[in-house]
Amino acid sequence: MMLGPAAAIGGLVAWGTVVGIDLVSFPQGLLSRPLIVGAGAGLLLGNLEDGLRVGLLLELFALDVLPVGAARYPDYGAGTVGAVLFSTAGPWPQTLGLATLFALGFAVLGGVSLQWLRELNGRALQRQMAGLAAGDAATVARLQYRGLLGDLFRSAMLAGIAVAAAQFLREWLPLGERQLIVTAVAIGAGVAAAATGALRGAGRGARLRWLAVGVGIGLTAAVLR
Amino acid sequence: MTTGFVRASLRLLGVQAAWNYERMTGLGMGYAAEPLLEDLKSADPARHAEAQIRSAEYFNSHPYLAGLALGALVRAEYDLVPGPQIARLRTALTSPLGALGDQLFWAGLVPAVMAAGIVAVVYGAGIWALLAAVLGYNVCRVATGVWALRTGLAHGAKVGSAIGSSWLPAAAQRIGLLAGLLVGIALPLASVWLLQAEHAWELPVAAGTITVGLVAAWTLGPRTNAVRFGLTAIGLAALLAWGLP
Repeated sequence: MMLGPAAAIGGLVAWGTVVGIDLVSFPQGLLSRPLIVGAGAGLLLGNLEDGLRVGLLLELFALDVLPVGAARYPDYGAGTVGAVLFSTAGPWPQTLGLATLFALGFAVLGGVSLQWLRELNGRALQRQMAGLAAGDAATVARLQYRGLLGDLFRSAMLAGIAVAAAQFLREWLPLGERQLIVTAVAIGAGVAAAATGALRGAGRGARLRWLAVGVGIGLTAAVLR
Repeated sequence: MTTGFVRASLRLLGVQAAWNYERMTGLGMGYAAEPLLEDLKSADPARHAEAQIRSAEYFNSHPYLAGLALGALVRAEYDLVPGPQIARLRTALTSPLGALGDQLFWAGLVPAVMAAGIVAVVYGAGIWALLAAVLGYNVCRVATGVWALRTGLAHGAKVGSAIGSSWLPAAAQRIGLLAGLLVGIALPLASVWLLQAEHAWELPVAAGTITVGLVAAWTLGPRTNAVRFGLTAIGLAALLAWGLP
């Protein structure tokens, strides 16, 4: 992989920004899912295989999350972009675990930044109460655009920091056989997260039976592969 | 109204852009309502001003189904339904639309599509399958949004019964079952695809982590979650790897 071309790095930051806005603000069209983010980042780096692998593992973590309105939920976008860059520093069995750790850390940071943005939106609203009370459509539009621009800034900053951090850390990545244990634990944690989310979502009704049937089919298919 | 309908539909795609704890998606609703209320401006300026104020008040629901509420509230304004009744309708629609949308999309279609995407990646379909998944999902999302706004505008204050007799409740039920099936299929396939163990000890390490994760979720309940468990487990493993000779 050609690492370091400014276009690829700029592309990663732009992609991280787009998927960051997609999470909540516009258009919420599935772009922010880690599997999609990872595939896009892998394409930009000319390493789709690693992008898909990082994205798929992080998607397992994301399957546990129900992004309900006021709840605090992680933002996997920027972290996944950085993690794909991070993971291309060496053979994937040695980098995948640490890349996942990197992405999860940024997912938490992304979630916190969303809370800050929402508080800032609230303060802006307080300052525009007179216009809102008068039914001024321009005030509503201004607040809406302000919110969108705020999320654009938040996403761009987060993506920029994630890509810069990944670029810096990949130079210091401790590679070697010992990292295989980190990758094995990361895969186990991802599967546990997805299984927990699936069981929680299934409850005790018909969905649980369909889940069990699915696991049976999946196990058979995995054995036959 | 046709131009207004298109503009409102597009604006609904960003209904959560100014999300805040005071009014939640209220501002987004007000922004989307504005083109639909245009005709009221010339017909009844006083009513239009009141409607404009009401349209940006507190509201929260699933973003994809917000059009149902928006259409119903706008239609109620044109029908000259009294203001307090419109406020009650707004409040009454919050929880059902939120719950229905969460069930249909966040807990249904999204995991179903992503699980299908995982299976496709495992079988080597790669980027084209993911593009098709994103495209297909967005067709469903936009079609639902258009249907929601149209249904809301058609039924006004009686939108509740229209929702109850629509395809939504049954679809939410069915898509949940499909999501369960597809996530079930994806999990073992993803595990095997990711864990191409070079050493005998890797499988028990991953299996042990899965067991600890499930036990932690079972015993700690909402005090733990995927990210917390992942950070703790992988962080400890990284420390262990760092300290290994």
